Amino acid sequence: MSSDFESYEQDFGTTTAELTNKIGRIPKLSGEEKTQLILNVDKQLEEVRELMEQMDLEVREIPIQSRAMYNGRLKSYKQELEKLEKDFKRSRIAYSDEVRQELLGDDGGSSEGQRAHLLDNTERLERSSRRLEAGYQIAVETEQVGQEILSNLHGDREKIQKARERLRETDANLGKSSRILTGMLRRPVAEMSNCSQYGTYSIIRSSEDSTAYHHVIKGFCRLQSLEAGVPEACTTARCSPIQLSGTC
Amino acid sequence: TVSFLFFFFFFLEEACEMYCRAANMFKMAKNWSAAGSAFCKAARLHMQMQNKHDCATSFIDAGNAYKKSDPNEAIKCLNAAVDIYTDMGRFTIAAKHHISIAEIYESELVDIEKAIAHYEQAADYYKGEESNSSANKCLLKVGAYCAQLEQYQKAIEIYEQVGATTMDNPLLKYSAKEYFFKASLCHFIVDELNAKIAVEKYEEMFPAFSDSRECKLLKKLLEAHEEQNSEAFTEAVKEFDSISRLDQWHTTLLLRIKKTIQGDEGDLK
Repeated sequence: MSSDFESYEQDFGTTTAELTNKIGRIPKLSGEEKTQLILNVDKQLEEVRELMEQMDLEVREIPIQSRAMYNGRLKSYKQELEKLEKDFKRSRIAYSDEVRQELLGDDGGSSEGQRAHLLDNTERLERSSRRLEAGYQIAVETEQVGQEILSNLHGDREKIQKARERLRETDANLGKSSRILTGMLRRPVAEMSNCSQYGTYSIIRSSEDSTAYHHVIKGFCRLQSLEAGVPEACTTARCSPIQLSGTC
Repeated sequence: TVSFLFFFFFFLEEACEMYCRAANMFKMAKNWSAAGSAFCKAARLHMQMQNKHDCATSFIDAGNAYKKSDPNEAIKCLNAAVDIYTDMGRFTIAAKHHISIAEIYESELVDIEKAIAHYEQAADYYKGEESNSSANKCLLKVGAYCAQLEQYQKAIEIYEQVGATTMDNPLLKYSAKEYFFKASLCHFIVDELNAKIAVEKYEEMFPAFSDSRECKLLKKLLEAHEEQNSEAFTEAVKEFDSISRLDQWHTTLLLRIKKTIQGDEGDLK
């Protein structure tokens, strides 16, 4: 069995050598000789393929233990055959190149130039698409950032409006309190103690400082509430300053 | 007697001030629990003196100090402050502190249910005070957590509501599509047919939604789900993700939807 295989191997070796030789010659020839040679090579390739099949069958009949080595060899032969076929194809294309060169004059390596040109174009197109993608990503990110900013602005707008409202309220309350206190000043002296007079005087002087306002009025009103007969105006005066100091 | 009471109050105030100063010193020394307890004592004294404002402020200071050491104590203080503010009718600031409490529940104590409750409360107060943007912010958080906890109906309602209110506002309309997208995802998990109807409804309500990438993604996902094709699903999601990364919330929901596709296919995968 193995001797058959070896004879096949030898045949394979010789035919492949011949084929390589012929394939090398093809591009250089032209016309009738060339077509003859091509047909020849074709036939030999057929024969080699049949050889390969025979070798395959042989290997299958060998017991499994020793099969590994033959399998390896078979694989390398197959690769050689494929390479030969590729070369053959390429030589046929080179054939058309030779003729083109004759026709178009001394172009010298034009096919190579064209190929490079096409590759260059494809590169450029890919680069452009990548840049466009990146640009689109940035645009989308920008949109998201814009969304956030807009919602923040909306929130801030509401806060500012609220603050303005409160400020107006505060202003009104301050006006009311100072009016009430000036009213208190005009009351008969007997109802007021010394410190309350002093207190009112300092209030009217420090009308800008609302915290001092708050504390002085607090003390003043506690005094008033502890004594008998809390005037109505005093309780109102107690509430509005506290509202004042409550602006956050 | 008058002067006696006056001096009594005066001493209380002195004591209060002393406690505040002590607390500030503790803060400088980074002894947060001691600072917190000192502020709490000051707050109680303020309460005795009927200074509701100062009492609440001290409780807030205590809460902030406790935030860094003992979250539970912080929450107690903040709750007390919030009660005082709601009592006084200061809902805006109460809402602000509800949000602080909710944040503590979110991060330190990881109690999502309570966080949701506080965010909801804050949103209600803000709505009452006509601060719609702050209310929306809180509602969105509620929605996100509800969807995480699989309370999809509630999440859908919230997102639809927020989407509807924002789509008319010229400043906010660019965010509206995001909310509709989230609502559609929640619909999707519940039932595919719901999602389809919902998407159509949103397109009708808000024409700009149909041009958005989110809408196109949704349509592709619906198709893939109909054909039970999880590869097409993954493809569509990957494509969307390559342009703008999907965040944690979206990824979780999409994964759940994908599982329903795979679940229908049986144990082959």
